Amino acid sequence: MKKYWKSIDEFQGKNDNAAFSEEEQKNEILELFESDFLKTSSSRRDFLKVFGFSLSAAALAASCKRPVINAIPYAVHPPEITPGRPLYYASSYFDGHEYSAILVKTRDGRPIKIEGNALSSFNGEGTTARVQASVLSLYDDARLKYPTADNSRATWDEIDSQILSELEKINSGGGSIVLLTSTINSPSTIRLIGEFGSRYKNFKWVQYDAISYSAILEANAACFGKKVIPDYNFQNTDLVISVNADFLGTWLCPVHFIPKYVSRRKLDEGQSDMLRHIQFESRLSLTGSNADTRIKIKPSDEKSLLADLYNIIAKKTGAMDYGKVSGRYNLDEIASSLVASKGRSIVISGANNVDIQIIVNGINSLLGNYDNCIDLNSNLNIAAGIDSEAEALLNELTAGKVSALLMHNVNPVYDYAGSDRFPEALKNAGLTINMSGSLNETVGKAKFECPVHHYLESWNDAEIIPGNLSLAQPCINPLFETRSFQDSLLKWSGNQTSWETYLRSTWQNEYHAKSNIQTFQKFWDTSLGQGIFTYETTNKIPFQTNTDVLTGAMELSENTSTDGYEVIFAESISIGTGMNANNPWLMELPDPVSRHCWDNVASFSPADAGKLDLHNGDMIRLSEGLIVPAFIQPGQAEGTVCVALGYGHTNSGPVANNIGVNVYPFAGMRAGNRYYGVTSVPEKTMSSKLLALTQEYNTMEGRPIVRETVFSEYQKNPSSGNELHEEFESKHLTLYPEIIYDGFHWGMAIDLNSCIGCNTCVIACQAENNIPVVGREEVRRRRIMHWIKIDRYYSESPDDPKVFFQPLTCMHCDNAPCENVCPVSATNHSSEGLNQMAYNRCIGTKYCINNCPYKVRRFNWYRYTNNKVFDFHTASDLGRMVLNPDVTVRERGVVEKCTFCVQRIQDKKLQAKLENRIIEDFEIKTACMQACPAGAIVFGNMNDKNSKVSQLLAKQRNYHLLEELHTLPSVGYLTKVWKDDEKKS
Amino acid sequence: MARSFSSKFLKLIYAALILSIIVIPSYSNGFRAQDSVNHKTVTHEELVRGERLFHGLVYRENKSVNCTACHNIKASDTINWNPNALEISFKYFDKSEEDLGKVLLNPNGLKMAEVHKGFQFTPEEITLLKAYMDELSTMPIQKHKPVITNLLLFIIASLLLLFSTIDLIITKRIRNQWIHLLILSVTGVYITWVLVVEAIAIGHSPDYAPDQPVKFSHAIHAGQNKTECVYCHSYAPYSKTSGFPATNVCMNCHLIVRTGSRTGAFEIAKVIESYEQMKPIQWVRVHNLPDHVFFSHAQHVNAGGVACQECHGPVQEMGRISLNTEMTMGWCINCHRTRNVNFNNNKFYSQYTDMAEKIRKGETSNVTVEMLGGTECMKCHY
Repeated sequence: MKKYWKSIDEFQGKNDNAAFSEEEQKNEILELFESDFLKTSSSRRDFLKVFGFSLSAAALAASCKRPVINAIPYAVHPPEITPGRPLYYASSYFDGHEYSAILVKTRDGRPIKIEGNALSSFNGEGTTARVQASVLSLYDDARLKYPTADNSRATWDEIDSQILSELEKINSGGGSIVLLTSTINSPSTIRLIGEFGSRYKNFKWVQYDAISYSAILEANAACFGKKVIPDYNFQNTDLVISVNADFLGTWLCPVHFIPKYVSRRKLDEGQSDMLRHIQFESRLSLTGSNADTRIKIKPSDEKSLLADLYNIIAKKTGAMDYGKVSGRYNLDEIASSLVASKGRSIVISGANNVDIQIIVNGINSLLGNYDNCIDLNSNLNIAAGIDSEAEALLNELTAGKVSALLMHNVNPVYDYAGSDRFPEALKNAGLTINMSGSLNETVGKAKFECPVHHYLESWNDAEIIPGNLSLAQPCINPLFETRSFQDSLLKWSGNQTSWETYLRSTWQNEYHAKSNIQTFQKFWDTSLGQGIFTYETTNKIPFQTNTDVLTGAMELSENTSTDGYEVIFAESISIGTGMNANNPWLMELPDPVSRHCWDNVASFSPADAGKLDLHNGDMIRLSEGLIVPAFIQPGQAEGTVCVALGYGHTNSGPVANNIGVNVYPFAGMRAGNRYYGVTSVPEKTMSSKLLALTQEYNTMEGRPIVRETVFSEYQKNPSSGNELHEEFESKHLTLYPEIIYDGFHWGMAIDLNSCIGCNTCVIACQAENNIPVVGREEVRRRRIMHWIKIDRYYSESPDDPKVFFQPLTCMHCDNAPCENVCPVSATNHSSEGLNQMAYNRCIGTKYCINNCPYKVRRFNWYRYTNNKVFDFHTASDLGRMVLNPDVTVRERGVVEKCTFCVQRIQDKKLQAKLENRIIEDFEIKTACMQACPAGAIVFGNMNDKNSKVSQLLAKQRNYHLLEELHTLPSVGYLTKVWKDDEKKS
Repeated sequence: MARSFSSKFLKLIYAALILSIIVIPSYSNGFRAQDSVNHKTVTHEELVRGERLFHGLVYRENKSVNCTACHNIKASDTINWNPNALEISFKYFDKSEEDLGKVLLNPNGLKMAEVHKGFQFTPEEITLLKAYMDELSTMPIQKHKPVITNLLLFIIASLLLLFSTIDLIITKRIRNQWIHLLILSVTGVYITWVLVVEAIAIGHSPDYAPDQPVKFSHAIHAGQNKTECVYCHSYAPYSKTSGFPATNVCMNCHLIVRTGSRTGAFEIAKVIESYEQMKPIQWVRVHNLPDHVFFSHAQHVNAGGVACQECHGPVQEMGRISLNTEMTMGWCINCHRTRNVNFNNNKFYSQYTDMAEKIRKGETSNVTVEMLGGTECMKCHY
């Protein structure tokens, strides 16, 4: 049998408890007691002190008066609000880097949860972890609360008059005014910026992305004459070749790609084929973890690899090739497969290098992938920043040629390459205005701080794909004295209309005519209600590929061999660009592959770690000023190191500050584009750090937790890889009468072929169920509270492992081991098959935790909500506004775990009763199921034989975790099926 | 040694006692508007004269009027529909003596005119009254509670228990041990009894009927005028909460109805003021469930067809609203055990196929809430 393992230490047979020294275990319990009174032996005096105090305390407690609770209705009730019922607003999330059409759930005027907008063709009900977590950022106490001039509080009127007069002065002197923003895809805002710019003689608008896709834009401009990022239609492909593009985790818009990709990987509805995915990469990314074939390369080899691939395909198809094939990689089979699936494949690269992107375009053109698989007409308006423009701006700033710099939603002081270049250059601009929503490193560097609303407080629109529009609307009154960026621009262009009116007028003039709704008011109401509006675009021009540019691109001028290690700076799935780093949910969200949180680490391959004698947590100096803890990452390419971007903040709020290291300053320009990496000779330092790893808890001892097969085997026998299931089922014997569930028997099916491990469900569950954040130290003590976690397993060799993701919730066993051992019956079984947990009965013996074979129960070691020691937003009244009022906030000393979102079950059951009908399948969705962009989780009534969950659980691929224990879980897993090599099958 | 120990111990006990005595009565329920009119400075003597006038202690030729007969100075356990002295003091704090005199001697309201008929006060007396009332508004309304509370008895008993235990074991000053035993047994029984009673009563407040900011009578609205419960508590059929009516709902009627049969215009004026100034009325909740209980009115009122009075008691007969039922978990469960669900008439229940089969076979005719899992933890706690 294959060996499955969870960490390098386990593979090497080391005891993973060794990292957790005895010294620590001894001291940890008392650490949070501030006084030292437990250390000394207590005297009689102490006894009396305590006794006297407790007597008076008891006396006081006994006389406690009933607290007077007020009920305060509205003076005049807004008709749309029903106290006790949620109200949903359709809106859009776009932070300059990531987009989703969303629904915002509000309770009594407070946004508390984000869901995907099912009407949107872009992302549907799917979201990402960062979108899910964005609601918490609304209640961040570190948000900017009022405008400032020269770092002292000012009113908007004062600021406006000062700015207007300064702008006029600059304009009359012919000075240059530059607006620096993140990518903007709001058509109304673009129109507004145009109007603002036309007022000034010398105005320039520069878009700047912290994580740049400039090379793709420039390559497409060179090849097709259109500076766009195309849409990738993975649903139309048979073969996907990705070179260092993490398109399921971070590249462009995973939330859009995941459903398309997964639709060709699913086998739950009798699909006869699935796409094959080959990943060339240096680090073990989320996308690489899901690839059928994964080939390790160094970043410096990307170009020669793709050039080779181009030439081989050109030879095979009879097109013109450009020189010899270096033959460093055996690409013949891949090229043949690509040619065989001509017009049904995608080749992509994550490199921010124009030459590489031109070669990629060349390969896709050769293969005829445009239009069907890669759509240049329906381009993605997700990134618009051109690196050279930002660089030119910086040079102008340094030279003092910029008189006024207006910044919106950017943080160049933190994320521009070269640590001091931007802050120094900023001093040369006469007038600097910063419009930021949250506290960041750039805040305080400008003359005027004009804080903007959180996106949940503001109006906006977005056109993510031409003809695919969405609106954003405020779901709560602005909490602080902030103003939207657009309102500020309107003020400073002397326009007295509000941004809301302006937005409406754009829609009236531009889009109303494109709909078939008669009156504008009705069109507006409909669009606002649905959140989206789509129209047919007419500019579908076939693009001509300009092959001339290929000649230049193919030049392999760069010396590809390098000394030392190639360090890659990659976007983190949890933190993203780092813009929303002051979000405790995201900080505590473990990376899906390395499973660590509250830090960024330098990932080394096991072989290199052996060479350098590295252990997890050893501090490594990668470059001057860049000291990062080492982490041994199976699957990392030898000679490469990977460090995540987005950490190491110094002024972004208490949660983000001083967590990890900021590596943006070490990025540089290479071949005209930003290059996220350096070359380094790592040096081991003497110090080390204990990492907050969330998956070193325990091992599963080689048991068949993850079951897998390959597609060719699956076609012959759908139960291949799952033979044990039948064996265990045949041994299913019990002395007790079988429990019969009348009515409902809730169950869940998780398709391991669909789950790509993106972690969205974890944050969705956290938001829905008031799950506390416990902080780095507590995570290290294995006290992370997530009710659903995605376990990651490796198999085969640590140098080139296969990776498995397995979402793990409470199994709601029909024969639950936890229930039998509870001395107070706080956990017991419901007649609907739920494993119930009554917090008020729980006395915290933790017997259930010990007896749960799946280790899904969590213990509240401390009071985490409303506790200054655990100040992760929920210690303040502001932060607690995010709590879901339908779920109890657990106190210290009780056990908790997944409830199958019983509040949602109860709500929908009641709804059905009130409407005198039965419950439809898919009507009740758990938070994890609703948020999952891949549709990997299906929840429903197992008693209904027609429900999707029953059908999935009846499949031959279905198995239960540790089913040999006869716990009879209500959660089933469908085996993982890999697409194998066609020739071999 | 023993002496110093016991003296220190005594200090501690005293400290505890003093602490508890300070903390227990420290409640306050009054506030005062900020000065906006010039108040005359009055002498102490004048204040006393004003107080006597207010209490009807000044002999007058026609008749002495005791204002406190209708306008309480102390919180009362019985319902008094008239505004209390404190409220009136607040209301007239910012107004002049002429205003007070006008209302006092020539009231607009029918009820008030009837009661205040024949009042005669000189302007000087009104000044004195006003001065006293201004003074009154700085003090919280007082409670009539007996001085010795159960708590004090409890503390004394605890101390006796402690002293006798200590004397029995350590100091041994009293020779006769039966005294110790007697004290121990009496105080022990008393303490245990108090603790048990108090423990059972935690979270229970039978007949809880706090003063409300507006003297609203359900007996008049729901009883005499037969207003439907859901006219005001309009969310009950489709939300978790039944909802306290917003002031604009009150104004549907009180736009026209400006005087009450008992309270005159005083109480309704509060409602109008709330509406005009957009200031919500801060009602005091009587029916509270702990935070970990998720109760839905829609489930009970709409799906279950439970009448409001089954849980809230005869509200239509209550003047001041009071807690009439236990509102404990046992009380909920008892009902869930005996009450039938609307099994045959709601299609939702057709999903319980086994139960439907039993009914068809005639094995059972009544389906209680409990039979469908209505007494399980996660029906109410999640």
